[in-house]
Amino acid sequence: MMKQLLHTPEGVRDIYGTEYARKVEVENRIHSVLSLYGYQDIQTPTFEFFDVFSKEIGTTPSRELYKFFDKENNTLVLRPDFTPSIARCAAKYFSEEKLPLRLCYAGNTFTNRSDLQGKLKESTQMGAELIGDCSVEADAEMISMVVQALLDTGLKRFQISIGQVEYFKGLCAEAGLDEETEMQLRACISGKNYFAAQELLVERRVQEPYMTRLLKVADMCGDMCSLTEARAMVNNDRSITAIDRLEKLYQVLSAYGVADYVSFDLGMLSKYNYYTGVIFKAYTYGVGDAVVKGGRYDKLLTQFGREAGAVGFCVLTDHILEALSRQKVELPVPEAPEVLHYTEETFQECLAQAKRIRGEGRPVVLTAATGGNR
Amino acid sequence: MSEDRYLTFALGKGRLANKTLELLESIGITCEEMKDKNSRKLIFTNEELKLRFFLAKGPDVPTYVEYGAADIGVVGRDTILEENRNVYEVLDLGFGKCRMCVCGPAAAGELLQHHERIRVASKYPHIAKDYFFNKKHQTVDIIKLNGSVELGPIVELSDVIVDIVETGSTLRENGLEVLEEVCPLSARMIVNPVSMQMERERIIKLVNQIREKLEESK
Repeated sequence: MMKQLLHTPEGVRDIYGTEYARKVEVENRIHSVLSLYGYQDIQTPTFEFFDVFSKEIGTTPSRELYKFFDKENNTLVLRPDFTPSIARCAAKYFSEEKLPLRLCYAGNTFTNRSDLQGKLKESTQMGAELIGDCSVEADAEMISMVVQALLDTGLKRFQISIGQVEYFKGLCAEAGLDEETEMQLRACISGKNYFAAQELLVERRVQEPYMTRLLKVADMCGDMCSLTEARAMVNNDRSITAIDRLEKLYQVLSAYGVADYVSFDLGMLSKYNYYTGVIFKAYTYGVGDAVVKGGRYDKLLTQFGREAGAVGFCVLTDHILEALSRQKVELPVPEAPEVLHYTEETFQECLAQAKRIRGEGRPVVLTAATGGNR
Repeated sequence: MSEDRYLTFALGKGRLANKTLELLESIGITCEEMKDKNSRKLIFTNEELKLRFFLAKGPDVPTYVEYGAADIGVVGRDTILEENRNVYEVLDLGFGKCRMCVCGPAAAGELLQHHERIRVASKYPHIAKDYFFNKKHQTVDIIKLNGSVELGPIVELSDVIVDIVETGSTLRENGLEVLEEVCPLSARMIVNPVSMQMERERIIKLVNQIREKLEESK
């Protein structure tokens, strides 16, 4: 029985001591960047109705959600991410005139993934959402905020990959693919699985030149030149508009002075329909997955009865910490408190001294000289 | 992006690793250390090209790559399908060709024509489940075995098996035959998604070199 009491369930853990001090430090640094851009903190409930995170809205499959019931038998869900909650909140409380809204959050999210050993089921996310602004400047603001936040945590080598789902969708429409084929192809291309994509296209009898063009999307990543190449390959407004937007975005990012950190990847396609325009992910050494994920989701708020474009990102704080320690980036940990030992006789005197030190804003610990065991 | 960082390869132990090293050698990437059969080292380096290699058990290769412990891995497609890890599958290396099949005594063929419940033994429970559930819409009981799967139908543990078939001689010797083909298999090169972004130039260059080499020898 004793063992049961001491251990935490698989996928959750205690964070304490220096590790937690580092985490708080990183969170503070990211938060101060978000504040400098004028984002207001918002807190949403840890659990919500299932519908808020359902298939039409969320990015987490139903079987990976922690579900339970309330007294009226409604299905409740522990949040797997923040964006749907923030969208619901924005649709509910903020009137049209208040737009655009700049909101930021921090908290823990929960996903029930038993098959991925070594990955946490409870993880901390921080993020920002800009609601009611469809401009390319809004996209750029998000990306430059990500760059600034990552720089401030102490990471030096990282890269932001930017994609645009519309390019691929336009090309699929041009090639006349049906919806099912498009979804399957999307999964293959986002997994850079060239061969599965080829098999699929042969099986569905997709004609040239579209066959080669669709397969080429998987390889289309790199700098501005890759965009020029991509533009030459398509003949439809939807894809061209997508490329125009990315080129414009690059100009604004250059103005922000962060263009060196970005590259384009038109084969980066989210598996879900959630994202409608630009999507981006930040990568760095030391972690096997992206440390920041974000993008534009112009249709999400309509699910909650409000027409408003939005763009946002979330920082996976635990991944950042892992990257920082793998890359051996030093973080200042708060100074150790001064220790005052008191005896019964000297207690008054020590207490006065402690009060004075705390008054000066320095930490102090008051402890019995005998160790407190009487 | 950085020349001082090692690019790490995880290779599935055995024939696949040897074939992969041969292929890498043909494009000028060598690892002399690895050829020494008596070496007890676990990891081998090529200082000149800043490359590292290690051997791992097949099913562990996608795991090493997913977590970024290795940037690149070479492993059979069967393992990739079974493990279903978040990795990029960038190249079909063309060797180690075989097929994933449903096998059993000829009489069992009848059982596959209907949607009735049957017992399937396999070393690859995920692949077997995906095939029967999602492609054939047949309800099956999956029994996970760790080797000599052909025994399943012989001792009547299961009706059929799902296993890798290369020449089919083991099957024939035991009175079994291929009933249906699930998918073709061969060795694949997989890449960690983060490495693909951070080390793009080096990895793409390597992949293109190998791709050209493979096309040549076709």
